[in-house]
Amino acid sequence: MEAVLQDFITCLRNAGIRVSVSETLDAAASVKALGYSDRQVLKDSLSASLAKSHREKPIFDDCFDRFFSAEPAKDSDNLSPADGVSAPDVSTLSAMILSVDRAGLSVSMRLAARRVDISTISFFTQKSMYIQRILNEMGQEGLIRDITRMSEQKGVWSEKLLGSLQAGRERLFEEVRDFVEKQYRLSADSIPEQIMERYLKRVHLSNLEQRDFERMRRIIQKMVQRLKDRYSRRRKRLSRGALDLKATLRRNLAYQGLIFDPSWKGKRLDRPEFLVLCDVSRSVQAFSRFMLLFLYSLHEELARIRSFIFCTNLVEVGHVIEEWGVEDALARLKNGVGLGLTLGRTDYGQSFEDFKEKALERITNKTTVIILGDARNNYGDPRTDVLKRVHELSKRVLWLNPEPPAYWGTGDSEMRRYSPYCLLVQQCSTVTHMERVIDFLLRTQR
Amino acid sequence: MKKTMLQKFDSIGRIQNGFKGTGYICSQQIATTLYLAFHLDKPILVEGPAGVGKTELAKASAAYLGLPLIRLQCYEGLDESKALYEWKYGKQLLYTQILKDRLNDILQGAGTLSESVSKLRQHDDIFFSSDFLEPRPLLKALQQEQGAVLLVDEVDKSDPEFEAFLLEVLSDFQVSVPELGTITATSKPFVFLTSNATREMSEPLKRRCLHLSIPFPEPKMEREILRSRVPGLSETLLAKLVAFINKVRKLDLKKVPSVSETIDWARVLVLLHSSDLEPELVKDTLNVFLKFEEDIEIIRERIFEFAQNAGKGP
Repeated sequence: MEAVLQDFITCLRNAGIRVSVSETLDAAASVKALGYSDRQVLKDSLSASLAKSHREKPIFDDCFDRFFSAEPAKDSDNLSPADGVSAPDVSTLSAMILSVDRAGLSVSMRLAARRVDISTISFFTQKSMYIQRILNEMGQEGLIRDITRMSEQKGVWSEKLLGSLQAGRERLFEEVRDFVEKQYRLSADSIPEQIMERYLKRVHLSNLEQRDFERMRRIIQKMVQRLKDRYSRRRKRLSRGALDLKATLRRNLAYQGLIFDPSWKGKRLDRPEFLVLCDVSRSVQAFSRFMLLFLYSLHEELARIRSFIFCTNLVEVGHVIEEWGVEDALARLKNGVGLGLTLGRTDYGQSFEDFKEKALERITNKTTVIILGDARNNYGDPRTDVLKRVHELSKRVLWLNPEPPAYWGTGDSEMRRYSPYCLLVQQCSTVTHMERVIDFLLRTQR
Repeated sequence: MKKTMLQKFDSIGRIQNGFKGTGYICSQQIATTLYLAFHLDKPILVEGPAGVGKTELAKASAAYLGLPLIRLQCYEGLDESKALYEWKYGKQLLYTQILKDRLNDILQGAGTLSESVSKLRQHDDIFFSSDFLEPRPLLKALQQEQGAVLLVDEVDKSDPEFEAFLLEVLSDFQVSVPELGTITATSKPFVFLTSNATREMSEPLKRRCLHLSIPFPEPKMEREILRSRVPGLSETLLAKLVAFINKVRKLDLKKVPSVSETIDWARVLVLLHSSDLEPELVKDTLNVFLKFEEDIEIIRERIFEFAQNAGKGP
């Protein structure tokens, strides 16, 4: 059972569930405690020790059902041992086939499969290779030799024996193929997932298709979640050892001024505030969906955030995000339905002016301002003075530009004029770029 | 004592029956996890939506085992001094004041400062003994002679620092008090941690626990729960009520009614002596299981349809 359990855990790991060594031990112990006679009990007990989050439960259920699927007893046609014929000098495999030792064959197949590492199968092109390897491991050579020898010396061997041996060989092949097929589905399903994720992270956001959107959303959510986990709560760091004299005296007045309860100097780390501005104009159309998705996820996860989108002018959109699901909200934001957004020429100057009016007085030294946009201002007044003011007031300004750095400052791009007022200007055209920004946020916020 | 406990946990069926006796209906999965937790000496991390009986499970376990339930409610900012132990400052101060004269007696004749210090030392660390130690839930659970059921409620609300601290307690069942030394559990407590999944728990914590997620119960089980919790509920009303609630759960609501709210509602209906789900009555009692005005609005429009169809299966 332990080997089976090990295989099952490998299968879980392939499917994306993280299983540690100690959890493996727990699983083994629980199998030992409860036995494996009752399928449901086995499932429940393994689930308790192996799948530990809501994300993992369905994956676990799926894997379990496929791995421990009851194997239907195949072709129960009346195959009886080739009667009366004892063949003393045939190979073990042939002997098993002749005596229709189904259990023996099945065990032999599984052992052979383990010897050739079937669990590492990852592409469908490997299937036939594995089938051959398993057959070889089971002693196919001996079987073939027996068959040729029998067909050469027709007189010595009965036709019937030869026939059942050949039929047995075909059946064996079928069974091994089924088995490999099943194993392939078990271990390989998840691998495209990983490859897909890697691919999605690298690919240019403008080239992503609608159908990858859901997957993308999950990746982005994972990133934002990381950011949130660390910064959603107020954090207090006490530097033990530095006495806060004033606070100590105040606190201990009740004890006749005897110092019983010292209080230490500490630093209070405040929750950061975010202001996010997202460009939705024509020039960034290909990206805006994903920039908005990023905005949406940030807004969903962070407690203190105000979100704006702009094109010709700038509007606040927090309420849209809170009210609508992701698909609806994104569609609304893109068209600016009922928001008072004018989708004409991009005007960073006007947008900054609006921003100044709406949010400037709320910017404190705890505020992080993130701007998503290509800084293409149609040769209008860039209003760098507003950005300068924002830069002075806020903790930092980050600018994420979907264009590669080579294009910055060319044509109507004002990136070079804005960049002095930003702590970080980062090209942001793939998820990996976004990830880098998140890392930067995490690093510098400590 | 240990023996009777072992008996109570010798099979999954017995656990289910035993819990039924305390008024808690547990599914096979819950019983299996309890069985494993008991035999592997592992804490259980219980997750699930609010009001499906996570906390209730710990209470029922305590009742079933006949052990005291010690509860630690987690919140942001919870720290060791509130979870583990604290010195009784006030009492220490009071004692020094009262014993001032006695202290003077003891110290009489001591010429120098170092002499008085060594004289005092002969009397041990009187003010830092277990008399002045205020045990908080975690320490209390370790000190119970017969063992205890420790419930760490809403552990997801606590800070990551506290979670890390909890790891030490949960893996070794011992804590160290600098002034007194290490305190080890006489018999290991049976630990439940509950979480509403407001945040993912850390990997190490998950690794040390068995994981149990309790979803909303199946209609059949919910009926059984109601039967055991709300006596005097007629079978027809019971079936309709559960069907109604299950329909409501399928809607897109701000807060979906949970089992505890179903129970509340059933109690209300019993109090009002109703034997059938009448739309009028439902309308008046919606606020028992719906906690948001918007949700009530959504349901109110569809009450008639729901109440009519409630009897006709899911």
